[in-house]
Amino acid sequence: MSAQKKRTFKIEAFKHRVELDPKYAERTWKVLEHAIHEIYNHNASGLSFEELYRNAYNMVLHKYGEKLYSGLVTTMSGHLKEIAKSIEDSQGGLFLEELDRKWGDHNKALQMIRDILMYMDRTFVPSNHKTPVHELGLNLWRDNIIRSGKIQTRLLDTLLDLIHRERTGEVINRSLMRNITKMLMDLGSSVYQEDFEKPFLEVSASFYSGESQQLIECCDCGEYLRKAERRLTEETERVSHYLDVKSEVKITSVVEGEMIANHMQRLVHMENSGLVNILVDDRYEDLSRMYNLFRRVPDGLSTVRDVMTSHLRETGKQLVSDPERLKDPVDFVQHLLDEKDKYDKIISKAFNNDKSFQNALNSSFEYFINLNNRSPEFISLYVDDKLRKGLKGVSEEDVEVVLDKVMMLFRYLQEKDVFEKYYKQHLAKRLLSGKTASDDAERSMIVKLKTECGYQFTSKLEGMFTDMKTSVDTMQGFYASQYSETGDGPTVAVQVLTTGSWPTQPSAPCNLPAEILGICDKFRTYYLGTHTGRRLTWQTNMGTADIKATFGKGQKHELNVSTYQMCILMLFNSADQLTYREIEQGTDIPAPDLKRCLQSLACVKGKNVLRKEPMSKDIAEDDAFYFNDKFTSKFIKVKIGTVAAQKESEPEKQETRQRVEEDRKPQIEAAIVRIMKSRRVLDHNTIVTEVTSQLQSRFLPNPVVIKKRIESLIEREFLERDKNDRKLYRYLA
Amino acid sequence: MASRRGRIRFNVGGKIFETTATTLANAGRHSMLGALLDDSWNPRQPAEGEAAEAEYFIDRNPACFAVLLDLLRTGELHVPPNMPEKLLNREALFYGLLDQVRAARWGPFDGNRLQLVDSVSGRAPGDGTAIRAGPDGGCCVAHGSMVHVYDWMLEEHRPISLDYQQVNDVGYIDAESIVISARERLGKGDGGMGVFSSSTGELRHRFRVSHYDQVKSFTAGALSLGSSDYKIFASCKGRCNEYGIGVWDQITGQQVDFFYEPPGCCLGDADKLQWLDGDKCLMVATLFPRTDNCFIGLLDFRDKSVIWSWSDAGTSVSLSLDEKRVLHAIAIEDSRSICVVNQYDDLGFIDLRSNAGGVRWSSRSKLTNRKAPNEESCYPKLATHDGQLFSSMNDGISVFCGPERVLTSTLRRSYGGSICDFSIGGDRLFALHSEENVFDVWETPPSPII
Repeated sequence: MSAQKKRTFKIEAFKHRVELDPKYAERTWKVLEHAIHEIYNHNASGLSFEELYRNAYNMVLHKYGEKLYSGLVTTMSGHLKEIAKSIEDSQGGLFLEELDRKWGDHNKALQMIRDILMYMDRTFVPSNHKTPVHELGLNLWRDNIIRSGKIQTRLLDTLLDLIHRERTGEVINRSLMRNITKMLMDLGSSVYQEDFEKPFLEVSASFYSGESQQLIECCDCGEYLRKAERRLTEETERVSHYLDVKSEVKITSVVEGEMIANHMQRLVHMENSGLVNILVDDRYEDLSRMYNLFRRVPDGLSTVRDVMTSHLRETGKQLVSDPERLKDPVDFVQHLLDEKDKYDKIISKAFNNDKSFQNALNSSFEYFINLNNRSPEFISLYVDDKLRKGLKGVSEEDVEVVLDKVMMLFRYLQEKDVFEKYYKQHLAKRLLSGKTASDDAERSMIVKLKTECGYQFTSKLEGMFTDMKTSVDTMQGFYASQYSETGDGPTVAVQVLTTGSWPTQPSAPCNLPAEILGICDKFRTYYLGTHTGRRLTWQTNMGTADIKATFGKGQKHELNVSTYQMCILMLFNSADQLTYREIEQGTDIPAPDLKRCLQSLACVKGKNVLRKEPMSKDIAEDDAFYFNDKFTSKFIKVKIGTVAAQKESEPEKQETRQRVEEDRKPQIEAAIVRIMKSRRVLDHNTIVTEVTSQLQSRFLPNPVVIKKRIESLIEREFLERDKNDRKLYRYLA
Repeated sequence: MASRRGRIRFNVGGKIFETTATTLANAGRHSMLGALLDDSWNPRQPAEGEAAEAEYFIDRNPACFAVLLDLLRTGELHVPPNMPEKLLNREALFYGLLDQVRAARWGPFDGNRLQLVDSVSGRAPGDGTAIRAGPDGGCCVAHGSMVHVYDWMLEEHRPISLDYQQVNDVGYIDAESIVISARERLGKGDGGMGVFSSSTGELRHRFRVSHYDQVKSFTAGALSLGSSDYKIFASCKGRCNEYGIGVWDQITGQQVDFFYEPPGCCLGDADKLQWLDGDKCLMVATLFPRTDNCFIGLLDFRDKSVIWSWSDAGTSVSLSLDEKRVLHAIAIEDSRSICVVNQYDDLGFIDLRSNAGGVRWSSRSKLTNRKAPNEESCYPKLATHDGQLFSSMNDGISVFCGPERVLTSTLRRSYGGSICDFSIGGDRLFALHSEENVFDVWETPPSPII
């Protein structure tokens, strides 16, 4: 106070700018520098965080931020150079461990340095576009350690060597590897990629190229794939243990490329162990492995698929054109089904139910089934066989399974209308002869065909069932009305078949025996009395009869024969010996049928109720027939079949074919008219394509036939050719 | 030196504070207090019983520490009246708690609860032309060729300019970066667009426009910063009729696209650009008085098409003064419409769903006592925030809420003349007055105690 009084008050400009002690910055920096040294020397316990923080804060506050920052860079670089030296000096195997330890130290030190310099990091660094302390520490580590001349190559070599050793079966220190790769990743993805991943992938590629070359020479396909698969799992595991997740795709694609893609063709076609062999042997495990491995590489699956397809087509072709097989239609179809089952199983078990494989399978089947134009007939015969007897004692589900399989084959057929034709014939035979094993199975089959091809396809088949049912009712009504008159005379069971629904050939009725004619006429009167305006024609060629016969020693048998056969046998009631011509005259049966009937009556051992002169297999026109007195059989009931091939004979086949062609004509015409009605004007090629696509579900129309139908339609003035452009057709309403 | 009960004792500038580790944990590891307590700085864990005597010494202002400690305890900021804000902010920066202080200072934005917290006068001559709010609560004001930058503490930083050319628009890329669009100086290649550091005012990057691989100088007009895909849009005028909308990448600064002005559209002279995130298209509005006929369009850059447009070209046959003219426009994506305003401060809406619709005006002359338009009035401006619509008129700003746009609040202050521009951002509203070079800061107070 006293001192102030003495002085006079005056304002005076500062002589010089107020400045901090110029040594201040230097001194403060020394303190911080010392602290950084201590931190690196693991000697930080004596340091006061508060003091250091305050010092760093003051330096920034007093605009010595730049000095602080550049000081940090210098000091840290110095320490890192020392560290680099000590890492360089480490002995062989300890190199990575030393690097890892120093990296840990550096990170810890970096954290503490960042704590001290937090204020600088927050204020000076962003406004001066400096690298933040943490990132700076990583960059300096990268430049001074990882990319220093002596360490860079040694590090890479060590890492690659360890991986190579692990690949050849040695055990390495995975956690150390993990730490080192993690360090590279921490330094930035580019460091990891440039300094490690890229060379790693190159080395891997050459390793696997060599190994695959070696393996393919000495292993069979299955073994090779097993080894390749194991390598892939190993690499995936390696990535999960100590590499960056992003490397997984890259390294596996290297292995896939070297081990699979480069040897794909050779593997698939390998002699004695290639894909075809594996397929033939049903080696699901190998197939599944091949699928999973080939799936990974471009064109892999298509390669497998192509080989499978060509093999399938080849074997299928053999199957359908094998003359041995053609002898037995049931066996033929069974083989097809077995083949299909085999591949279905392969696809579901080994190929992951791959759609493209299923399609390949389907198209192959479609291809070779249609190679044989008897396939529709055979499939129908197969169904016939199953529905006649094959399904007895089989549960309902199993029936469905069999029918579903047949339907699958049916789907492959191009000529579905041919199938329909045969199916109708076979069904008619089954129904009329009462050989149907299960009504439910029959109906189920019809329903399946209906869902597959529509109402139109099955309407006639269903009509057949309806006829059968009404016939039963009619017969009941008939016998109820004739009750009083039925005595010992023959009974008749009439099945009234609607014309059109049944595959009837117009045939002149044979001469029925007088005994039968009476009751037939009664039925005719009864039926026409209840249904006016109908016409009944007897289809004697399709009926059956049960007759009682007494043979020489008085033994009685009940013979189950066809209507024709009955007519023949009835003739022998009045004569013991008849010539062929006499029989022909007496019965009026068409010659081929007659011959067949006589053959089955006279030539089949055990069923020869007639005797023929001369004894020979074939029936000649001047043969004579005798009632066979000596006929014996241990059965009371004797069924005398007709000698008729199940399969159609060649002329019959021709006939069926012709009828099919005939039936197709109206369908093609209808399609043409439908199309033209909506399109009015169209050129020839388009019509052909459209017709083909419309009718595809039933059959594959021949373009020549389509052309003929068009011409016919032009003649009948449904269409006309365009006057200017002859290629164009016009619809005439 | 945490005691068994997690208690921690500080000696700050001679005053003893005691608190808990949990409270201090709110400061975070990347704060001074977080580092101070970290294990790496406290290598020896004190044995049980000995801890109580130890304390941390910090050579700082104890009064401020008390406020900041309270902030850590409660999340609320209560500054004693005698404590200068600047002092507290400085101390908060020392502890690394400035972000917490900012977050506690004002609440989430609500147009109906705004309070005027400050009015800042600038030194620049003449009137300000535009004000933009930054994402962290700072703002920048364009005055002629200069842009004055204020941080959230409303401290002014170095002003920025692009070759001292007339500034047309400014915008924040982030709190640290400001884009300026400026007029081109003939023959010099000056002007155009640049990014500046908001804290130091340095020019960081100058945007280029190239037409057919040739770099050309240009005048940049209105700006829009697409938030979702890091793009910058600007209306551009080149000297050889290269009019259109330029697009740059915010990160690389490179030009990525250019939408040349198709006939019948005004793009290069646009007054307002707005990026619509939902539709991935840009609204461009060219308005009176720059043009006689207003044009508003939506541009799709993917196939370079104008997907929607509206113009009053056909409607106003007689250019009488009483004609309602669209003076500002803003797209409201949620209601699929564009809101416009005319010289009588009427709001109007144009439906974005139909292409040929007209303006549906809703007169609000009943609500406001309309002043005769005199020379001192400014053109009205519009803004939206979180479903609320803001419209400036004369010296006040009206707040409209709800789908029917009901007037709910008016922000007015008598000093500084009419409002020439305003902007909402960083939970604050900044209003720039045409006279006196003054801007107001409005913010929502923190939530009430209960």
